[in-house]
Amino acid sequence: MKDLLKLKTSLAEDIENILNAQVKIEAHASALYLAMSSWCDDQGLDNSADFFAKQANEEREHMLKLFNYINNRGGRAISPEVTNIPTDFDSFRGVFEQTLLQEMFVTEQFNNIADKCMKAKDYVTFNFVQWFLAEQVEEEYVARRILELFDVIGEEGTGRWEIDKHLVKVTFSGQE
Amino acid sequence: MICPLAEVEEVFKESFGAVYQCSRKNCYWLEFKDTTTAFKISDFFLFKKTIDAIDIEKMLSDTSRTADFELVMPHRTDRCFILSAQDVLNLREVLAGAKFMIELNSEVKRILRKEAVLASF
Ligand SMILES: [Fe+2]
Ligand SMILES: [Fe+2]
Repeated sequence: MKDLLKLKTSLAEDIENILNAQVKIEAHASALYLAMSSWCDDQGLDNSADFFAKQANEEREHMLKLFNYINNRGGRAISPEVTNIPTDFDSFRGVFEQTLLQEMFVTEQFNNIADKCMKAKDYVTFNFVQWFLAEQVEEEYVARRILELFDVIGEEGTGRWEIDKHLVKVTFSGQE
Repeated sequence: MICPLAEVEEVFKESFGAVYQCSRKNCYWLEFKDTTTAFKISDFFLFKKTIDAIDIEKMLSDTSRTADFELVMPHRTDRCFILSAQDVLNLREVLAGAKFMIELNSEVKRILRKEAVLASF
């Protein structure tokens, strides 16, 4: 019997499923950061609002990168439903704490994907997710560094204004 | 009825249904409840997902009359499946069996292709 399955797709079903799950996670992250952007804007935290708007765009790009990969490999990418996006946040600091936790969650997911690829001997997808794993180092670094500003500067007096002013300068210079 | 030009091979057969593959048109034929329906490869697996996602428990516990049957109209077919809970279970069995055989065939073909290339070593 002719092998029709391979003609259609190069992706194993469980790999396609876990990649589609990641599409949804990135879409959720994008929507969450956009909500944070709006909240920061409302609080008069201009730079933070910009920071999160940019983050939201980046997460959408991550989503599309995964989305296109699935389709390019003959799979079927699913445009995800995004639900449960908060509209209100507890505090300025809390927003960045949540950001760090969110990024660490994403890193964990990509570790799981890499693990699945390894077990399925899908080194093509394994290679594809390397980019994301490297990206997560930067994402976690930036979130953690910004969070440290809350201790270094302090929120008292004009502290919140100072933090908002300085957080745009946090950049990741790589491993050198 | 299955297209007379089709080159069909049996993929999986049960008393209440069967799946055939047409290697000329690269599609699958589902035989179920006196109907035959052709599916493109990806549509076939999408159809399986749809059938697997039906909430049978809800069909059984919901007392409204419309809940006794599930209506499934797969895109790109002119078929309308009206399925009782028992039909859904039967159809799932046919589709699961077919999927297993399709994957098994794919695996066997993969090994054969490899053997054919490396046989001289
Ligand atoms: Fe991301
Ligand atoms: Fe991120």
